[in-house]
Amino acid sequence: MSSSSQIFVSLVIPILNELENVHLLYQAVKEVLDTIDRPYEMIFVDDGSTDGTREVLRELASEDIRLKVILFRKNFGQSAAMAAGFRESRGRIVVAMDGDLQNDPKDIPRLLDKMEQGYDVVAGWRKNRKDRLIVRKIPSRIANKLICSVTDVKLHDTGCSLKAFRREVIDRIRLYGELHRFIPGLARVEGARISEIVVVHHPRRFGQSKYNLTRTFRVLMDLSSLNLFLKYLRNPMRFFGTIGGWMLTLGTVMGIYVIYGLWIKQVPVEYMNVLVTTVFLFWAVGIQFVLFGLVASLIVQTGTRRGSSLSPFLTFAESGIKEKISG
Amino acid sequence: MDNSSIKISILVSLYNFAENVQRLYDSLIQAVESYDCTFEIVCVDDGSQDDTLKQLLQLAKRDKRLRVIKMRDTFGESAALEAALRYSSGEKVVYLSGRVRVNPMTIPRMLQHLDDGYDLVMGWRYPRRDFLLNRAISWLFNRLASRLSKVRLHDINSGVFVAKRGVLERISIYGDLYNFIPVLASQQGYKITEIKVEQQSGAFRMSRYPNEYIQRFLDIITVFFLTRYSKKPIHLMGFFGALFFLAGFIIELYLGVYRLLFLGPIAGRPLLILGALLLVIGIQMITIGLLGEMIIFTHAGEIEEYNIEEVIN
Repeated sequence: MSSSSQIFVSLVIPILNELENVHLLYQAVKEVLDTIDRPYEMIFVDDGSTDGTREVLRELASEDIRLKVILFRKNFGQSAAMAAGFRESRGRIVVAMDGDLQNDPKDIPRLLDKMEQGYDVVAGWRKNRKDRLIVRKIPSRIANKLICSVTDVKLHDTGCSLKAFRREVIDRIRLYGELHRFIPGLARVEGARISEIVVVHHPRRFGQSKYNLTRTFRVLMDLSSLNLFLKYLRNPMRFFGTIGGWMLTLGTVMGIYVIYGLWIKQVPVEYMNVLVTTVFLFWAVGIQFVLFGLVASLIVQTGTRRGSSLSPFLTFAESGIKEKISG
Repeated sequence: MDNSSIKISILVSLYNFAENVQRLYDSLIQAVESYDCTFEIVCVDDGSQDDTLKQLLQLAKRDKRLRVIKMRDTFGESAALEAALRYSSGEKVVYLSGRVRVNPMTIPRMLQHLDDGYDLVMGWRYPRRDFLLNRAISWLFNRLASRLSKVRLHDINSGVFVAKRGVLERISIYGDLYNFIPVLASQQGYKITEIKVEQQSGAFRMSRYPNEYIQRFLDIITVFFLTRYSKKPIHLMGFFGALFFLAGFIIELYLGVYRLLFLGPIAGRPLLILGALLLVIGIQMITIGLLGEMIIFTHAGEIEEYNIEEVIN
């Protein structure tokens, strides 16, 4: 096995129940990677397949030393599979791709060419998407708009799995939950230079699509909390405290009015009941928000102290990596 | 004793067990010797007030395979298990809690299941010979826990199980989570099964602390949350928070319209306060969910939410 510094590109592919596709995938990927004529490795991460994909992968791995296969004990999700693949990868450039053959491996050399121009992340853009309009293309387009506006990334298609990353980006991003959707955004925060190229998209040949519509709600919530983190993670009190502060102020103003009405103008209590309730409400929520802000600061502080935890928010400029790339 | 040759470690936690130590020891030896394998027994005295420790030490003097750990105070079974795990070396681990009084003769059969490819074999106390209230609560607890966690077991915290060492080292068994070892193990993708074990009479007592019963149901909520939503707290709390908030909002909207159309006074109506309360709870839930997300996000570097079975090449 060649040493880690020699591997030029690592291809990471999460795989879930792709029995018919996996052999074709391996052949197609291998063919393309052989043409670039630099040391490479393929990492197939099996996310707990139950249809015999694992056996095929074992067989393939036993014949090809450049194919690394990671078998999960059960299904842990696509983010986990990508995270595991990234962690095991050693190439200077890491390319991620779906295992369903809808992406075309032939686009990989073009991704690498684009990387050579000095980008840290190059995403694929499925300009002519071969999917159903209502259930896939439209939700995807809306999600893309939202993700781009929240994470401040100018991409046409953040949902395309075919992407290339520089090693430094990979080492910095920590994936969990369903964050794999937002990788360009997370990279952007670190100051990565991002670009895209148009890639080919094939219709699905075998197997089932693993998409379901219900996850839209979850994506939205992930997105809104990500939005919050990207803006306020260093100063959570700015967020919670501001809301709390306004509520307390409004509550106080209304409270003064209530006292003025009751004591000075001698208005009967019945007329003030709604306002009194509102005052209490604003005060309760306001105090809570300030307290939440304090707890949030505590969380961020302890997270920072552990060292690596806040590392997603180091920029390339801060760590001096950018200079190394351009130099 | 050469540690590397030990195949099976039998871990026992004991609390105020003096009169039964000898009997347990005899039946354990009898049970394990029939399995024909090198083994060790690690007994943890969890700060007993009677002379459990003295009895154990006497046995240990005669039998080199018996190791005794004395806890400085009563720290509970999870701490006892953790300590015993650290001072044992067998690849297969048998755990037996003194509290449950089951027949050790089932242990060889449980070990057999481990050899058949399972990672964790739980004991299922059946038939139960126990105080009726304990049984009823245990039944309800197990139904709820197995439904919420989707781990189909009859007796989740039976206090007797056999596992591969790696399983126990992988999952965190601290505090009350100890009660959910099979749930945590299945979350990590390990193969689990259960086997009926005979319960011996003698456990006819009600818990001295009523809080224990309430605690068990809080445990269920904890484990439900930790297994399904620990990496995405906002998905759970945001959903329920939005629900509460919406309900409160609709109520207040209704009252507002009602008042504006001069249909009558609303100040004295309890609905007003209910609506306000729902709004507050809704906001609280969403915010707490955000705090949860924040905890996860700041610790993302330490999270490894997958469990690799094998890496080839």
